[in-house]
Amino acid sequence: MNLEDEIRTALRRKEPSPEFTERVLARVSGMPVRRAPRPWVRWVAAMAASVLLAAGAMGYRQYQGERAKSQVLLAIRIAGGKLNKAQKRVQMLNAAHRNNS
Amino acid sequence: MKTAGFPLALVLFAGMAAGQQVKWNYDKLAARASDSVDVNLDGSVLRLAAKFLSSDDPDQAKAKKLVEGLKGIYVKTFEFKNAGEYSPADVESFRAQLHSPDWQRIVGVHGKEDGEDVDVYIKPEAKGIGGLAIIAAEPKELTLVNIVGPIDLDSLSELGGHFGIPEVEVEKKKEK
Repeated sequence: MNLEDEIRTALRRKEPSPEFTERVLARVSGMPVRRAPRPWVRWVAAMAASVLLAAGAMGYRQYQGERAKSQVLLAIRIAGGKLNKAQKRVQMLNAAHRNNS
Repeated sequence: MKTAGFPLALVLFAGMAAGQQVKWNYDKLAARASDSVDVNLDGSVLRLAAKFLSSDDPDQAKAKKLVEGLKGIYVKTFEFKNAGEYSPADVESFRAQLHSPDWQRIVGVHGKEDGEDVDVYIKPEAKGIGGLAIIAAEPKELTLVNIVGPIDLDSLSELGGHFGIPEVEVEKKKEK
């Protein structure tokens, strides 16, 4: 048998066996069905992501605000303390001056 | 470099035009200090902080009222291990800016016992005080304060006695 005959034999059309279709259908019915996700699942996922992002942004804003607040109180404590001290000195000097005169 | 120079000059000019914030390079002092506090709060941060200050707490409510109209608060405190680690020349560039006609020194006290000098400068404006600068120099500590915007000195002084610092009794005029 030459090469052409071998190829022709190999590529010759073969009819499937009578039970082939039943076997394939039986196999397919046993396989899990993969369906596309339902639209509401996507919406819920998107909303959950949005809520998480918003919560993160609010938390960061809260952190920034609390930090700014503590810095303002620190600055006022230092500045006011120095001013208060200077005022006290002036009052003491005034009192001493009044006592001397 | 030329392209970077123009915006920089613009920023400096804007700062000078505002004429209130005292510019000062404190890197050398910071390097020598054993401890330091550096508070830089511009208008936007002050507005944010005001939102977080409680109106129910009396001290915070006063602080809130105090900072609401301010454009900036800048405080630098340097602590040194030994006396004499900084010199008057170190703060001269800060002080020199306060010698302009815009500023007026209202208090200058020298403590013989503790060696603390405190100079208080204000920026008088038609409606009141438009800015405040304080130079408090102790042997081992130097504090520089610059508050930009309308400030109520009595409220600030009063608050200085709160938040953990014992209040100093200041004789106040009684209204008849």
